[in-house]
Amino acid sequence: MLTRISYALRETWVSFRRNITLTGAAVVTSAVSLLLVGSTFLIQRAFDNLLTRWKGDVELIVYVRSDADATQIEVIKGALESQASIIDVAKLRYLNQAESYAEAEKLFAGDPGTLRLLTPANIPSQFKVVPISQDSNLIRELGEQFRNIPGVREVAYAQDVFDVVARVSQFIRVATTVMSVVLLVVAVGLIWNTVRTAMFARRREIEVMKLVGATNWFIRIPFMLEGLLQGVIGGVLSCLGLWGLNTAWSGAVADFNDTELAALVVTDGYMRFVMVILLLVGAIAGAVGSGIAASRFLDV
Amino acid sequence: MIRLDNVTKTYGLEAPAVRDASFEIAKGEFIFMVGPSGSGKSTLLRLINRQEQPERGAVWVAGQNINEIAESKVPYLRRNLGNIFQDYKLLLNKTVSENVAFALEVIGRPKHVIAQQVPAVLDLVGLADKGDRFPHQLSGGEQQRVSIARAFVNRPLILLADEPTGNLDPATGEGIMRLLERINTTGTTVVMATHDQRIVNMMRRRVVQLDRGVIVRDQERGVYD
Repeated sequence: MLTRISYALRETWVSFRRNITLTGAAVVTSAVSLLLVGSTFLIQRAFDNLLTRWKGDVELIVYVRSDADATQIEVIKGALESQASIIDVAKLRYLNQAESYAEAEKLFAGDPGTLRLLTPANIPSQFKVVPISQDSNLIRELGEQFRNIPGVREVAYAQDVFDVVARVSQFIRVATTVMSVVLLVVAVGLIWNTVRTAMFARRREIEVMKLVGATNWFIRIPFMLEGLLQGVIGGVLSCLGLWGLNTAWSGAVADFNDTELAALVVTDGYMRFVMVILLLVGAIAGAVGSGIAASRFLDV
Repeated sequence: MIRLDNVTKTYGLEAPAVRDASFEIAKGEFIFMVGPSGSGKSTLLRLINRQEQPERGAVWVAGQNINEIAESKVPYLRRNLGNIFQDYKLLLNKTVSENVAFALEVIGRPKHVIAQQVPAVLDLVGLADKGDRFPHQLSGGEQQRVSIARAFVNRPLILLADEPTGNLDPATGEGIMRLLERINTTGTTVVMATHDQRIVNMMRRRVVQLDRGVIVRDQERGVYD
């Protein structure tokens, strides 16, 4: 068993080095495609953060002062529920201060300065309002009425940010997904080709191996490992690139910390998750490309 | 040990390379397949190690119909068959010892077994002191000895030799034949395809003669023609 493992690893390494230009092309292509895949994830996440306030068709948010008492909150709630012809009362949600703070952590991920000023005690609580009516003027009129109710701090409308951002986010998502899928297919093809070339270069050895009774799997595994290695190295490079990009982006966004842009940042935990995904996708792409090649060209 | 029942093999649309061939080879026999180029000698050897499958008929090796065994079992069949070729098929980037060890390595033999068997078989073929040489540093006869060592190191039941003396001068070829004879005395069945009249006449072993894919003669202690 040990003989077989050391044989497979040695052969993988020899073959990997022998064909350095093709290997390099395959590694770089998979790295770039995975970088795009990773960017898609991060961009998506950043927009999700930005839009997190408006999730679930929320069109109007009534912010309640942090010092409002329970009676005032009840009055606001009652007033909202009385507007059943305009708003969907069943979907009306109240986020208390703890819940609002959890949401703010996402919203101000790129703006630690602002986040530090907020605490679960001083943050406004909020009513999230889902309208029935599609008439935006009606919703705006309704919102303006609430400005004067005691305890209300502010009223915000989804229309102001949501529509534009949602459209931009959708466009970027489609574009990066298409590009990364195309590049991923190219990467699989390149890995397939390097493995095919490696097998062709060693057809004499493969012939001898078959004649002395080596099993197909024994012959195949070093080639499959070679493709796997290419995919994984591509994955590692893409992780480094993504980390660099994200660090640079977060730094740039921090300069706009009074604007909505501050939400366009992802946290380290999500970054790690995306990196694991990239390594996995890289490994799978490598194994698939080389696996197909190794099965098809074993009859050299 | 080997039996062919009415075997026919055709490549593409050409006339059959082997037509309706039947014969039996006993364990420990030494047999020549003779005939001009293209008469079907090599095809017969390729049918016996299942590099080819016949259209009709059956090939039996060591009691198994090898045309009916699963593709995944073919490697295990081949471990019972040693192959020797006119062009040696040595790996040029490996030393003599590594070439021989390769045959054991790729069927998963443990290191200590390899370390013990490689020098023993090199000694048998008369290359005990040339284990560290590369193939290009050897004469043709020596290279063929390496390929015999590689074919025999796993102690196969059968040795298939396709024109093993084809590239060698007469004296060197004789040396190779003496080596094959010696391997044959250990109980290994040897099947050799050749058109080297001198060697066939010298050895006086069983001769199967082919002409355009058809067996035209099968003679004990025969000569070339």
